[in-house]
Amino acid sequence: MEERLYDLIFICRPDTPEEEINKITATLEHEVTERGGKMEKTEKWGTRKLAYRVAKQREGFYVYLSLRSTQGELIKELERRLKVSDPVIKYLTVRLDEEIKRQQKLVKRRERRSARRPRKSAPPAAASGGQTTAAAS
Amino acid sequence: MAEEATQHPPAPQAPSGPPRRDRRDGPPGGGPPRRGKRQFFRKKKVCRFCTDKVDFIDYKKVEMLQPFVQERGKILPRRMTGTCSKHQRWLGVAIKRARNIALLSFSGNR
Repeated sequence: MEERLYDLIFICRPDTPEEEINKITATLEHEVTERGGKMEKTEKWGTRKLAYRVAKQREGFYVYLSLRSTQGELIKELERRLKVSDPVIKYLTVRLDEEIKRQQKLVKRRERRSARRPRKSAPPAAASGGQTTAAAS
Repeated sequence: MAEEATQHPPAPQAPSGPPRRDRRDGPPGGGPPRRGKRQFFRKKKVCRFCTDKVDFIDYKKVEMLQPFVQERGKILPRRMTGTCSKHQRWLGVAIKRARNIALLSFSGNR
């Protein structure tokens, strides 16, 4: 199976100590590397205001992970772990490789088009030149 | 009959005159409505994402999504924002993802 790119975001309670959050992320990263996945990015966004109340909390500590994996089972395991861990109040996994692929395709197409444009503008000028010569003859 | 016939032609002519005049007046008179129409179409909205050449709308950038969400949390329709159909589709997906992870609200500011 081809490699897939996933975004994994989870929110912890704002009152959880930083060590515990580090511990959770470490275990997740360990799980990823052990199962043949690759960690792309790990970002701690810090405490942010939640758009709505989650588990009676108005704020939450956001952690963002980006990872690559060929196994869907890995995501299942990660989500199970997040579900089990108490400080985590919300998590979201999004598969992004297809969108990235689409984006690259669009970028390529645009490059091709921009390469074509000068050529396109040239032919009309040549055609008008031909007409003038025909009129003259 | 003849009298009626003679009477009739002038009658249509007489009424037809004013309408014709109205029609002739129409173009200048029609000007204002046209101007009004122009006022309607004056602002041709262009897709913000197309002008910026955005190929991927990131659900994590809340500041980018916020202008396309009403105060109540509704996604603004295309006719309001002028977003093209392609980008509106992506935008919808991005907003829904952001909502799922509490970056955007489902219903207003609580």
